[in-house]
Amino acid sequence: MRSRVLGSALIIVAITLIQSTVLEYIEYNGIKPNILLVFIVCSALLGGNITGAVTGFFTGMIQDIVSGKVIGLYALLGMYLGLTLGTLNKRFYRENIMVTLMFTFVATIAYEGMVYFLGVFFKGQVDFLYSMQYKILPEALYNMLVSIVVFKILIKVYKKQDRSEKVSRNY
Amino acid sequence: MLRLFKKKGFLIIFVTLVLFVVIGITASGNSKLGWFGTLLNSVFSPVQKALSVSGDKVDSTVSFFKDSKALKDENKILRQRVEELEKENDEFKTLKQKNEELKEALNLKNQLKQYQTISANIIAKDLGNWFNVFTIDKGTNDGVVKDCTVIASKGLVGRVLEAGPFSSKVITVIDIDSTVSARLTRTRNYVEIKGDLALGDQGLCKMYNIEPGVDITVGDRLETSGTGGIYPKGITVGKVKEVRQTNNELDRYAIVEPVVDFTRLEDIYVLITKK
Repeated sequence: MRSRVLGSALIIVAITLIQSTVLEYIEYNGIKPNILLVFIVCSALLGGNITGAVTGFFTGMIQDIVSGKVIGLYALLGMYLGLTLGTLNKRFYRENIMVTLMFTFVATIAYEGMVYFLGVFFKGQVDFLYSMQYKILPEALYNMLVSIVVFKILIKVYKKQDRSEKVSRNY
Repeated sequence: MLRLFKKKGFLIIFVTLVLFVVIGITASGNSKLGWFGTLLNSVFSPVQKALSVSGDKVDSTVSFFKDSKALKDENKILRQRVEELEKENDEFKTLKQKNEELKEALNLKNQLKQYQTISANIIAKDLGNWFNVFTIDKGTNDGVVKDCTVIASKGLVGRVLEAGPFSSKVITVIDIDSTVSARLTRTRNYVEIKGDLALGDQGLCKMYNIEPGVDITVGDRLETSGTGGIYPKGITVGKVKEVRQTNNELDRYAIVEPVVDFTRLEDIYVLITKK
C-alpha cells in the first residue's frame, strides 16, 4: 500500500512536469492531451473509489498549484471524478481496455465541461459550441489515445508492486 | 465524534466543504494560503526550467534539419531585403529623433523610467487547453510581485498573477480573464481590451467599450492608458485588425491583433518599481 502511494505520487509529479513543459510539442490543432486526467481515470478504474478520490484530489491539487488561477478547483473536480469512476470499479471487468477508452472519453467531456462551465462560462464567455467542437471533443479523442498507454503502464506497475509485496511477505 | 471521520461519506463532504472555502479565499485574491503553493512551485520550477530548456533544444535541433533548404532560400531573399532596409533605416533615424523629442514633452519616457526591467524566461505553460497563463523563472526573490507588468521588446505581454520566491505565474492579454485599459493612439479615445476564448486561440483579443462616434480604422495602434491602475501608460498593446458591428452603431467591438506573437515568446521582461 505504501509503495503504491509513493509510486502514484512520483507518477503524478512526473506527469505534471512533462505536461507543463514538453507536451506542447505534440499539440494537435492547438490541443494538448490531459495526461493527469487520464491518470485519475485509470487509477480510479483499477483501484476503487477511495483510491480514485484520493488520487483525484492530489492530482488536482498539484494542478491547481502549478498552473491554476484559483486553488481548489481542479482538486475538487479531480476528487469527484476519481470517486465516481472508482465506484464503477466493482461492476465492470477492471482490466478491460474498452472500458477504459469509453470512460476516458466520457470523463474528459464531463471534466473539461465542468472546467469550461466554472472557469469560462461564468466569466461571460458563452461560446459553448466552439468549446465543445474545438476544445473538449478533440481533447477527449486525444485522451483516449493516451489512456491506452497509461492504462497498460499502470497495470504493469501495479502487478510489479503486488508481486514484490507478496515476496516480502514470506518471512 | 472522531468516529464520524472514519465514515467515507462524511470525509468526502468535509473535504468538499474545505475545498469550497479554499476556492473562495483564493478567488477573492487573498494570498494567505499561497505559502503552500509557493513551496511546491519552488520545488517544481527548477525541474520545469530544465525540461523546458531541453525541450526547446530538441525542438530546435529537429527543426534545424527540416528547415535547411528552406533556410538557404530564405537567406538569399533576406540578404536583399537587408540592403533595402538599411537604406530605409537612415530615413527613420531622423524621424525617430523627432519622435523622441515629442515623447519627452509628453512625459512618456519618465513614466517607464521609474521601472527597472529584469529579463525572464518561460519555464512552464498552462496544463490545460483553456487558459493562457505561463510560468516564468523570476519571483519575489528578484523583486517580482503580483500585478507587475510583463512586456516583450515589442509590447505588452501581460501581468503577474501570482509570485512565489523563485517563479511567478503570468496571465497574458489574450487570456479570457485579462482586461487592459487602453487607448487608441491616434484619436486618444479610451477603450478596453479583453481576452476571448475563440480569438485567443488565434492569438487575438477583443476591444470593448467603444464610445459611439469614435473613429476607428484598421491598423490603428493601441497602447495602455494607465487608467486601470495596473499597467503603466504608453506600452503598445497591438493594432486594430477588424471592426465589427453587433446590433447597432452603439454596440461595436473590434478585433485586436496584439503586437506580441504569443506562440513565439522569447525575450520577456518584468517591470519592477524601483524603490
